[in-house]
Amino acid sequence: MNQHGIGMESKSVAVLKPLLLRNDPEFWPLLKSFTDAARDFGEMFLLSSLRKKAHARQVPVPGMVQQKIRLGIVGGSSVYPFHELLEHFCDVTGAPCEVWLGDYDNYISEILEENSGLYEFGPQAVLVIPPEKRCRYDGSLADSREAHETQARAVVTGLLQLAAKIHERSRAEVILSNFMLPARHDPGSYRSRTLGSDWSFRKWVNLELGLTAPSYVHICDLEFLAHRQGGVASRDERSWFESKQPCSPALLVEFAREAAHLVGSLRQPPKKVLVLDLDNTLWGGVVAEDGLAGIELGDTSPRGEAFKAFQNHIRSLKSRGVLLAVCSKNDHAKAKEVFVKHPEMVLRMEDIVSFKANWEPKSDNIRQMAAELNLGLDSFVFVDDNPAEIEIVRQFAPEVTTILLGPDASEYASQLQDCRLFEPRSLTAEDAERTSQYRSEVQRKALESSTTDMASYLDSLEMEAVISEFTAVDAPRLSQLINKSNQFNLTTRRRTEADIHTLMNDPDYVGFSVRLKDRFGDHGLISIVIGQKQNGTMKIDTWLMSCRVLKRQVEEEVLNELARLAAVRGCVRLEGLYLPTAKNEMVRDFYTRMGFTLLSESEQSREFERALEGYKPAPTKIRVVRRAFDTTS
Amino acid sequence: MNQAEVLAKLQGIFDTIFLEPVVVTPALTAKEVPEWDSLMQVSLVVTVEKSFGVHFRIGEVEKTRNVGEFADLILKRLEQP
Repeated sequence: MNQHGIGMESKSVAVLKPLLLRNDPEFWPLLKSFTDAARDFGEMFLLSSLRKKAHARQVPVPGMVQQKIRLGIVGGSSVYPFHELLEHFCDVTGAPCEVWLGDYDNYISEILEENSGLYEFGPQAVLVIPPEKRCRYDGSLADSREAHETQARAVVTGLLQLAAKIHERSRAEVILSNFMLPARHDPGSYRSRTLGSDWSFRKWVNLELGLTAPSYVHICDLEFLAHRQGGVASRDERSWFESKQPCSPALLVEFAREAAHLVGSLRQPPKKVLVLDLDNTLWGGVVAEDGLAGIELGDTSPRGEAFKAFQNHIRSLKSRGVLLAVCSKNDHAKAKEVFVKHPEMVLRMEDIVSFKANWEPKSDNIRQMAAELNLGLDSFVFVDDNPAEIEIVRQFAPEVTTILLGPDASEYASQLQDCRLFEPRSLTAEDAERTSQYRSEVQRKALESSTTDMASYLDSLEMEAVISEFTAVDAPRLSQLINKSNQFNLTTRRRTEADIHTLMNDPDYVGFSVRLKDRFGDHGLISIVIGQKQNGTMKIDTWLMSCRVLKRQVEEEVLNELARLAAVRGCVRLEGLYLPTAKNEMVRDFYTRMGFTLLSESEQSREFERALEGYKPAPTKIRVVRRAFDTTS
Repeated sequence: MNQAEVLAKLQGIFDTIFLEPVVVTPALTAKEVPEWDSLMQVSLVVTVEKSFGVHFRIGEVEKTRNVGEFADLILKRLEQP
């Protein structure tokens, strides 16, 4: 505990107070960044009183003064001091409000009575906070599901009727908060076996509310906010009994922040363009220094995996209609090469609407993009790991929103997911159409995969394999998988990156790798084979596979490819070797399963052979989109 | 901690919470401070709990009649959490 003053609040006060006393307009942007970072009720309250002092002293507000939104707040709990926080958030995020407050638990009459204070106020938006007690099944847990559902539906209909009344009377947009779930154990695991428990009942109501509300209703998702915060931490019984607070002080802060976000989004459209830095943003390392093979990206290192996950999230934004652009201090050809050639890149050139890799200031580049795309700078968001680049853009293109990535790549995706800049508001007719097409597709798939035999399961996975000869770019990944794979590994022969390069230059060796993806995602590089040609025999020096793709027919496709490559090189038989270790028992009989014959056996090894004459490729459910040494793609 | 130390720390909290300066004395009551309404009360209690690291039981803050009694309650909850 801090024994001096009010602890952590003091930092923001120490910074803001002198600015306030000088009437310095810098007060406002700093107040906003402290507000964005603050989670604590006490600190938020202090920031709010500083804001009020600043208004009283008429500290000049930079930029255009926004017209105030007239916001009514009504509900079944006390709206003090919630409204104070809400006004604060609205004010600092550029959507200031004039607020009208309903009385505690008087919301139904305030909404239904034609001449109520709410309508005299003339609201443009009304926040309705219904109380939990109105979302509870009043019969028995053991009642029929129909009885439970009838009452749950009545709660939804009742709330939507109130919303409709508000909209009809005042044309106001309605912000409707849904219900927190209980956080106490009672009635135990039975809670999810009946719709009569508060847990299930509220989940049902929340779900139905969101799915059926008309477009003038905006759900303030308390269930989600409390989930994010933690159920127990979101409740405070004492503050309910003492002052009818709807939740704990900590959740009250997030509740107000969210409500303000919804109020603000009535005016501010979401951002349109995401501008991305490259080195240490989309991949680890610097491509101009580390080279195509040296950058960290992809499933074989944890950090590389994090960058790939970040790219995957970025691509999901693209599919939601966000435009992607690149702005990097880089050699253009080298930067582009990664998008074209790197096997683990998720984003490709065709995903990028504007690609600026040069040595000009990034603020200039982004201005140029805005001109090319005919979009305002205020619809751009710029992401970089380098604070200096962020600062340049902040200073010279201040309309652009910037995101400075933190020090840990594993948090990049979460940072973007929490930035709140690309949230869809409603679906257009076109989106809806796309959704319905997608739905019928999903139903078709569900039907297919409901057949329980293995073949139709594999079929439904829509597997695609890319088989590639060893390449310099893959060398780090190849060596890594070779050195970590233990179980499905016939010989457990380890190799360094340098060994891989040596092997690639030796005409007697043939090595290839397999990447696999299916409709649930990309498994990356999952199998490696090395063969050594000796007279008419292809000796299988290494055959290994990642265990997560067992039973997917990858082994069969690998053998098909091995047989094909051996035949091309004039071999008439394959020779397989099993070297037992403490961990590779699972492949002891692998070669016999694959149609090989046991030649010899000792404690140290087992040798197998298979003639290639008359070899027919085994049919599989994997579509091979490229084969090794395939020069056409 | 004694009552005087608690009052000194409360003065710091009052200085940041209230817009107008308020001098903390044991006899001070909410009625004497125009800004000290029910809204301010909620914020004050949350801030005091956080900065002193105490948790008041239901109803007991309401029973205190002035800042001196409030300070004594803080002392009591510091001793018996």
